[in-house]
Amino acid sequence: MKKNNRIKTLLLAMAIIVSYSNNIFAQNFSGKEIMQKVKDRPDGDNRKSTMQMELINKRGKKRMRSFVSYSMDIGKDKKSIMFFQSPADVKGTGFLTWGYDNPDKEDDRWLYLPAMKKTRRISGTSAKKDYFMGTDFTYDDMGGRNIDEDTHKLLNEEKLDAYDCWKIISIPKDPKDMYSKKVSWIRKDCLFAYKVVFYDKMGNLLKTLTISDIKKINGFWTAQKMHIINHQTNHQTILLMSGTKYNIKMEETLFTVSNLEKGVF
Amino acid sequence: MKRQYIIIVLLWSTFVFSQEDKTKLDFTGFVDTYHAVRSESPYDFMSSRTRFRGEIKMLKGNSYFFTSFNAVHNSILKSQTGIELREAFFEYTAKSWDFKAGRQILSWGVADGMRIIDIISAMDMTEFLAQDYDDIIMPVNALKLRWLKPKMNFELIYIPIPSFSIMPDEAENPWSIFPTEGKPVFDINMDNKPELTLANSEFGARFSFFLSGIDFSVSALHTWNKMPVFTRSMSSDFDTVFLKANHYNLDMLGLDFSIPKGQFVFRGETAYYIGEFHELDDEIINTEPIKKNSLNWLLGIDWYLGNDWTITAQYSQKFITNYLDVLQEKENTILSTAGITKKIFRSTLSVSTFAYIDINNGGFFDRTSVDYALSDEIHLLIGYDWFHGDKGMFGLYKNNSEYWFKAKYCF
Repeated sequence: MKKNNRIKTLLLAMAIIVSYSNNIFAQNFSGKEIMQKVKDRPDGDNRKSTMQMELINKRGKKRMRSFVSYSMDIGKDKKSIMFFQSPADVKGTGFLTWGYDNPDKEDDRWLYLPAMKKTRRISGTSAKKDYFMGTDFTYDDMGGRNIDEDTHKLLNEEKLDAYDCWKIISIPKDPKDMYSKKVSWIRKDCLFAYKVVFYDKMGNLLKTLTISDIKKINGFWTAQKMHIINHQTNHQTILLMSGTKYNIKMEETLFTVSNLEKGVF
Repeated sequence: MKRQYIIIVLLWSTFVFSQEDKTKLDFTGFVDTYHAVRSESPYDFMSSRTRFRGEIKMLKGNSYFFTSFNAVHNSILKSQTGIELREAFFEYTAKSWDFKAGRQILSWGVADGMRIIDIISAMDMTEFLAQDYDDIIMPVNALKLRWLKPKMNFELIYIPIPSFSIMPDEAENPWSIFPTEGKPVFDINMDNKPELTLANSEFGARFSFFLSGIDFSVSALHTWNKMPVFTRSMSSDFDTVFLKANHYNLDMLGLDFSIPKGQFVFRGETAYYIGEFHELDDEIINTEPIKKNSLNWLLGIDWYLGNDWTITAQYSQKFITNYLDVLQEKENTILSTAGITKKIFRSTLSVSTFAYIDINNGGFFDRTSVDYALSDEIHLLIGYDWFHGDKGMFGLYKNNSEYWFKAKYCF
């Protein structure tokens, strides 16, 4: 009798799992819903990682940048702080950002310059379109873009390499945006973009981003390598993340101007 | 003496931080060499110096130690050659307060290259403004205690012994503020400094708020005017002018703010100077300076217009209340700045210009530079310092326009 009950329970559990899986993969999501899922992908309440960026120009000459980044979710908003470790002339430079989910509210940003021993309030909006520290990533590319700034449309479902992906086209609502469109392949298994192709204002191919070495750290999917190539300049940037940790002991009080000025945690 | 001080500080810190494990130690710095030549006859060198800057940081738990020092060789001004301790302080950080003691840079306010509220530190005017602003600001021996809240800080500072700005008074210095030839001869006494007593200490407080959409702070300071106020007398045969540098107390009440809005950041400062002593007109001799209050304010704007362009502008005014015509300083002094910076080639090349504009006297000083990052470690810079005007602080240096070259290796 007991054995029969266990079998029933197991079958019921399997039925629920299959049903849930079918919902995930068979449900017709809109492009925006998928991008919202990507944005809402679980990544802990806070996180820390070290990022190393290799900048390679068309002649193969390399430059390196590295920084330590901490971030924390405050409801739907996010606070982050980063400290540059190299190159030597910017070592100690820090950025503090209080980012807001509401697209109508400007982010609050501060920049600390160690040589001047002074913190400056900087614009919370304009830098988003600028390239980050000479890399091929804009601040927007690094994750600062609100999904409502684009119109997202699901084109189809494709298998790219070994991964089932949603193929989505994102068109900026602002006609003056630096991109005319972006096409993303979103991996269904981990909700990471596997590949993103950027087109410039004229509709020409501009950049290709590929994200690899995605694995679970502390139970959260984590991308450890991003490779972006600018096809128009033949410049490329490889971003490697290491030492990533989630849900570590971290308090909101760390994301303050006084800690930005200290430069170390 | 300076060398002994550095060694003592380093030995002390090594001892303290070696008491426990996991001390983080970091040694960084740079070597730079700077050479400037006058852009008009006689095309003489205005500056030629090479510097090694070492910086040591140690962190253990909540305790932090920092020191930086310069080893300088100056081919023009021999007195500048030597080793100097720049900063040396230790800091303890608790959850809601921190404490910093030692030689440190104290910087208040939001102005760029101008001093309205930021009057704690003295300035090294050896080469006037023709050097980086962070080289002009001098650290002070101070104690700083802060009460820290997420969106607010309260800061108390105490400076036991005041330090004063270094004025270019050497005859061989092209930036000397005194005539070095002709008649009358100037006999300058810069040694008149306040006594080292408790009563002559400096102290101040500042409330700073960091809020969504605005930063602002209010401050109060009992300090010394870091710039000397000269009194004049003449020799009996009128061929020598005796100049005596005097230093006086000054109290300041200040307010500053920064407001980002779209691509812009609006900045402002206002300060009321209480009891500032003012120098009298050149022709008035054997008369003491006169004490007056003044209202000082500054408005600035930073425009981050994207694509690595930054434009800044500032406008400041000093208004002396109950003005007297015998004062050397004008009743209204207006100074403004303008700057443009553009980074190109993926931030490897930075082109910038920054100008001080003396509205009262129609003069200006503009520093234009091109900074190329040859590698991650090496920067090569060339620039031009352009002085223009017949009167005022820039008119004094109207023949000092110069081309300059700088190379910097950071490690």
